Amino acid sequence: MRNRVVITGVGVVSSLGNSPASLHSSLCSGRRALRPIEHFSTEGLGCPLGGEIPSFDAQKYLGRKNLRPLDRTSRLVASAAQLALNDSQWSESMRNEEEVGLVLGTMFCSVHTISEFDRRALEVGPAYASPMDFSNTVINAAAGQTAIMHNLRGINSTISTGLTSGLQAIAYATDVIRSGRARAILAGGAEEMCFESFYGFDRAGLLCRSDEHAGDFPIPFDKRRNGFALGEGAALLMLENLHFARERGARPLAEIVGHGFGYDCSQGRDEVSAVDAIGSSIRHALNDAFIGPHEIDCLSASANGSYTGDRQEARGVFAGLNGQTRKLPITAIKSMLGETLGASGPIQAVVLLETMRDGVLPGIKSLEEIDDDFAFELISADNRESDFETGLINSAGFDGHCCSLVLSRTD
Amino acid sequence: MRQCRVVVTGIGVVTPIGTGRECFWTNLLAGRSGIGPVRSFDTSAYSVHCGAEVHDFQSEPYLSNLDAAHLGRASQFAIAGARLALADANLEIASLDLKRAGVSMGTTSGEPREVERFDNLFISKKLERVGPEFLALYPSHVIAAHIARELQFAGINIMIPTACAAGNYAIAHAFDVLRAGRADLMLAGGSDSFSRITYTGFAQLGAIAPEICQPFDRHRKGMIPGEGSGVLVLEPLAAATRRGARIYAEITGYGLSCDAHHMTAAHPNGDGAVRAMQKALEQSAIGPQDVSYISAHGTGTSTNDRLETLAVKRLFGDAAYRIPMSSIKSMLGHTMGAASAIEAAVCALALFHDRIPPTINLKQPDPDCDLDYVPNSAREHTVRVAMNNAYAFGGNNASLVLRKHESLN
Repeated sequence: MRNRVVITGVGVVSSLGNSPASLHSSLCSGRRALRPIEHFSTEGLGCPLGGEIPSFDAQKYLGRKNLRPLDRTSRLVASAAQLALNDSQWSESMRNEEEVGLVLGTMFCSVHTISEFDRRALEVGPAYASPMDFSNTVINAAAGQTAIMHNLRGINSTISTGLTSGLQAIAYATDVIRSGRARAILAGGAEEMCFESFYGFDRAGLLCRSDEHAGDFPIPFDKRRNGFALGEGAALLMLENLHFARERGARPLAEIVGHGFGYDCSQGRDEVSAVDAIGSSIRHALNDAFIGPHEIDCLSASANGSYTGDRQEARGVFAGLNGQTRKLPITAIKSMLGETLGASGPIQAVVLLETMRDGVLPGIKSLEEIDDDFAFELISADNRESDFETGLINSAGFDGHCCSLVLSRTD
Repeated sequence: MRQCRVVVTGIGVVTPIGTGRECFWTNLLAGRSGIGPVRSFDTSAYSVHCGAEVHDFQSEPYLSNLDAAHLGRASQFAIAGARLALADANLEIASLDLKRAGVSMGTTSGEPREVERFDNLFISKKLERVGPEFLALYPSHVIAAHIARELQFAGINIMIPTACAAGNYAIAHAFDVLRAGRADLMLAGGSDSFSRITYTGFAQLGAIAPEICQPFDRHRKGMIPGEGSGVLVLEPLAAATRRGARIYAEITGYGLSCDAHHMTAAHPNGDGAVRAMQKALEQSAIGPQDVSYISAHGTGTSTNDRLETLAVKRLFGDAAYRIPMSSIKSMLGHTMGAASAIEAAVCALALFHDRIPPTINLKQPDPDCDLDYVPNSAREHTVRVAMNNAYAFGGNNASLVLRKHESLN
């Protein structure tokens, strides 16, 4: 017998809002976070756009706590953690009594911190590199810093699987609770906007060539798509063993009923293999949830505007849901937030939770016409009202990793 | 659903004292050291100059599908470890259901040399020379991905970058994946390459020893950064028995915890370490008195060795004095994310051979470190249960428990 896992609280820090309600309402009113990057110069780069969090200030969430040792990624995570702890009512005194874990998905943690540390040692000599900065160069730095700040003494793990990192972290934490190893875990993901990773994506030719002056943006699933834009953010879900959550009087927002995984060894180069990996990921998630494709009420797609990635996902979803996709309402929130990498899956989860509560699925901003062979009919720029009981979240990387998660409303 | 038992049937290592199980184990029991002057970069601006590097490593023999020119050093180590482990397990890739063959790896730094190259070009204002290869080679998850692509493994593929405890984390996860029936076979371990960034950081923490690594010695002067990989083949006991595999050991449980105290220093009471060991024993249904070997984290820094000793004494009580506990970092240096994977391999080999590798360079006992550290020479000793401890930046603690295979029957 496996333990049931429920979500009892949420914390999100994003470019379109710092609460599930404000983020969802921004998306439903078609706000777009993508604009010229302010953080660093994009001169000489192909893509000038990104979804930065305007004037992010961690002090707003963390009050008088000492933020000096925390870099941007750690501040995003510590802030999201504070919000999730408040929302799930895990007080400081409860955390002193009981172990709460933290499983964080991140693709880079902070490659900016790592690179700056190295460059300082190169430019002024290793004797001037700061030991405090060094502790932030490990990829588990944000999870460690957040655990210290909030006294999270349970399982502390960091998961890196590219842009599926965040959803994979939720899957990992779900299994840990199912098996009875932990009662409560904050799980999710984070990614910061920084020059180093941005440069890498730009040079890899994955970013859109659109710019706001021309009036065009990355549009998931649209015929005109030509790449994605990067974003940033953090989202954490408080996952708990249903039994103990009820016992402490917590209010479950939804249940995690299944997750699945797929890996494409061709890294997207072979269409058949890429589609198969996405399809298997979805099928595994449905099997894990003991449900059939017809029981999925809506899909939060991974699609971000990538020409091949979106096509492979469209076909993968068709395969994974046994062709039952025409009457499936679909959203792709990266149309407005950009690709937030490790944060993306958990942010999709937050939006889906709010969709279940509110009954409105955000439309895909600017979507006009999808490819002729995509078997989707309920996909458009318009929001869609419905009663959503069970939703599917997809996360599919540009280099082979796929992860799917099924959420259901709790009674 | 009854959960399956998970066994170790293959071991592949790339280490500063040898590549491949046999060569490594022989050198380890002989107490050979892999520590010497750093060759991978110029250390003249540093006050320390020693490291534990893997010299003369050739990746070509291990590559059939991928090209070494498109792989970072940690990925090359990882692929070599994976190929060696599969060969050691006597497994033909053609015989596997590739969709149910997965990879779970740990690392501290991923592929730091790729970001170091980025930084060199940034400073010399030649950043335009950085091309698409940066994204393809740098992010840490490529290590597990590269193993999978080389072997065409399409099962679960995950990277757990929990610094110096990452190998144990990755093995623990693979254990869970197999028990949940999500894969038939897992390659699990850790890999890290020698890095200027890591070296600079530990030097600035004042943690690097000038010449030798002498864990638990009164005059210990610190750790020695190293590199390498360790990969284990894990499979369900039933499958291993069916194919007549050589079984090194069974994995019975693990414990993870977080100090939530300090990024680089352990908890002053060893609190997190005790909780990790406790959980690992509880899950294994094994009492502290039944543990016959502890593979220590044993970095050789003043604080680590003292607090680790304290934590073991807190959990094991008087039994602590009867349990041999050695640190192979005295010979290999600290191979970072690979360390606990290589040490898990050592636990499996200790269980299989009833031999315990020594802690070398242990001359003068420290009053704060008064356990049996198997000083200076390997020992014959019946090993029924082994515990593998690893501690990392971020207060990430991971303990793994392994048991002798025969004792199960």
